Amino acid sequence: MRQQYAVRSLIIVAGLVLAVLAVIVQMVRIQSSDQAKVFLSQGDRYAGEFQMFYPERGEIYDRNGHLLAGNRTVYEVGVSLSEMESADSLANILSKYLGLSYDEVHKKLTESPKSWEYVVIQDYVGVETVDALQKLVQDMNDADDSRLSGLAFKPHLERSYPENSLASNVLGFVTRDGRGYFGIEEKYNDLLAGNPVQIWVPRDPNKATEIPRVPNGTTLVLTINRDLQAKVESILDQALSDYGSPNGTIIVMNPRDGEILAMAATPRMDLNNYGNYFSLYDDGSQYNRSIGMSYEPGSVLKVLTMAAALDTGTVRPETTFIDTGSIEVGGITIQNWNRDAWGQQDMVGCLQHSLNVCLAWVSSQMGTQKFYNYMDRFGLGHSTGVDLSGEATGRLKVPGDGDWYPVDLGTNAFGQGVAVTPLQMLMAVSAIANDGKMVTPHVLYSMLRDGHQYNVPTQYAGSPISAETAHTLNNMLAISLEQESSQALLPGYRLSGKTGTAQIPTDYGYDAFHTNVSFVGWGPTDDPQFMVYIWMQSPSTSIWASETAAPVFSKVAEQTVILLNIPPDVVRGQLVTK
Amino acid sequence: MQGQATQIIHAYRQAPWRVQRQWIGAFLLAVVGVAMVAALYLDVTARTAVAGREIQELRTEIITIQRENADLETQLADLTATAVMEKRATDLGYRPVQPGELDYVAVPGFVLPEPAILLAADDAVPQVQAQPPEYTQSLLEWFDEQIKLGVWR
Repeated sequence: MRQQYAVRSLIIVAGLVLAVLAVIVQMVRIQSSDQAKVFLSQGDRYAGEFQMFYPERGEIYDRNGHLLAGNRTVYEVGVSLSEMESADSLANILSKYLGLSYDEVHKKLTESPKSWEYVVIQDYVGVETVDALQKLVQDMNDADDSRLSGLAFKPHLERSYPENSLASNVLGFVTRDGRGYFGIEEKYNDLLAGNPVQIWVPRDPNKATEIPRVPNGTTLVLTINRDLQAKVESILDQALSDYGSPNGTIIVMNPRDGEILAMAATPRMDLNNYGNYFSLYDDGSQYNRSIGMSYEPGSVLKVLTMAAALDTGTVRPETTFIDTGSIEVGGITIQNWNRDAWGQQDMVGCLQHSLNVCLAWVSSQMGTQKFYNYMDRFGLGHSTGVDLSGEATGRLKVPGDGDWYPVDLGTNAFGQGVAVTPLQMLMAVSAIANDGKMVTPHVLYSMLRDGHQYNVPTQYAGSPISAETAHTLNNMLAISLEQESSQALLPGYRLSGKTGTAQIPTDYGYDAFHTNVSFVGWGPTDDPQFMVYIWMQSPSTSIWASETAAPVFSKVAEQTVILLNIPPDVVRGQLVTK
Repeated sequence: MQGQATQIIHAYRQAPWRVQRQWIGAFLLAVVGVAMVAALYLDVTARTAVAGREIQELRTEIITIQRENADLETQLADLTATAVMEKRATDLGYRPVQPGELDYVAVPGFVLPEPAILLAADDAVPQVQAQPPEYTQSLLEWFDEQIKLGVWR
């Protein structure tokens, strides 16, 4: 009996084992079959999705850590069509909150292609609007009202400029497609934007792994001093109003290292409303006149002519010149600004009274080759290499060019017949304020990326003149300012500088009634720590730079010494001796 | 001696209850073993699923916090913008300083500060190391891989 049970048991066990084996064999067979591969590949399609991770665009700060360009959250408002219950209700609410027409929204909700699961109603919706909509949805959900089902809010970042129009000409702006235009935003667009990364994100939580962190765009720190920038913009706006000038620019730079501390230009626009661009500017060159527009600078260029003449030994400060009121160069007669004869003058007097005849004589004495060699070494006709987008190169005609005439040697010497940008002039003159070494102007102070800070080193653009020449001319320009009782002076500080009044060329010759007024100056003379360049177009109250640009320089210098903590010369001397 | 040992083994083999007990013992051992492996597997799988879900949620949270952080930075900058601060100062009765009103004091050892980068640089991006499959693979996936590799053919 027992044996019989044992046999039966064994048969049952064997049967079960066979069944289990059959199941296992079948499982393996199915898993390894060709059909399994098809099913697996179909499953893989829904196992996850490739997601594009866009890094946060790098921020832009001023040199003291004030945010100039950041990011803020905005929302894409859309509707999941499969979850939508009432197109009428959604169209009604969304048209009201988003300022759209009912028909437009309703059409999107009801007439979208059937394959669509989601439709975008409006993007870049502000936080306040979305908060109100979310509260409404919540209230309706609490009341078991599902008419707004399907409404979705997808947050993302948008560029934001907390200072609105401040330094807009330097910063540039970013459009909604994420591309930077003008200024820093365009020049460093690739760095700021970072690199989007496409990553496979599995839906299976068992397969969830840490997604490699997508590094944010590089954060930039500028050399701009926000407070000085605001002051300089304010002074520029006031000056344009006071002197009846339509547009102008002021640049403040450190002549030792080329750091641009402030760069104001008009017109400026609120960067948060970059749609105004086309109503403010006729073309891109007007966006930042400091670098984008070239003009005939007039007498500020005499500084370069005198520097070249001193460096070549053509003249010395005490060299005398008998000014008869006119000089003939290349068969053309050149006269002084007031058509007077100024008699015997030394070179300081020539600069002080801004005598065209004297400087035309100086360039003639120097000779064509030397003069243009020096102008080339000063960078005229070349871009400065500033790290801002949209720089113009100006134009320096040289012998051999089809439109160069011998008289140009004379007129170029006092800044007519040559086109420069304000920044080009500032860079060229930096050699005089910086011991003969010309600095490359730059706006970027440092970059922050991956926990590291990379500072931008000072770059020199050559040494067009010797240190001795620079010191001599520096002193000559300080004396000429002092002796002229210039409105550019600032009590307590010895400053060097030169005015420039230039007639404006037209298709019919020079405009007799309008001028470009300029001023280039720096200080303190014995240890230059700032340089200022001013250009105002066609002032209506006076055509002379000495009455318009010079007092503006004084105001800028006053604010600069306060904000940069530069004590008066006497105090500075005491501090040094202590 | 050898004869005695043979007798004991023979007697042991002959006892039917001993054979039965051996079979039952082996079977129960196998069942317990399989149950333990199954329980362990279920536990690990469940915990992996929970951890995976947490990772997904944390990832979303990181993105949200980063966005909020950017928002707050911009809000702070809005509140401390030049025009805003100037208005607040004016409202409080302050006015711009004039050059003659400044006093300069010599402080021994003072060095004019260079532009300080007050903002913290972004954290260094950690090098994400590829996790070995032992940490992510389930038992079944391991079996599957082994079969595909032909290890058990």
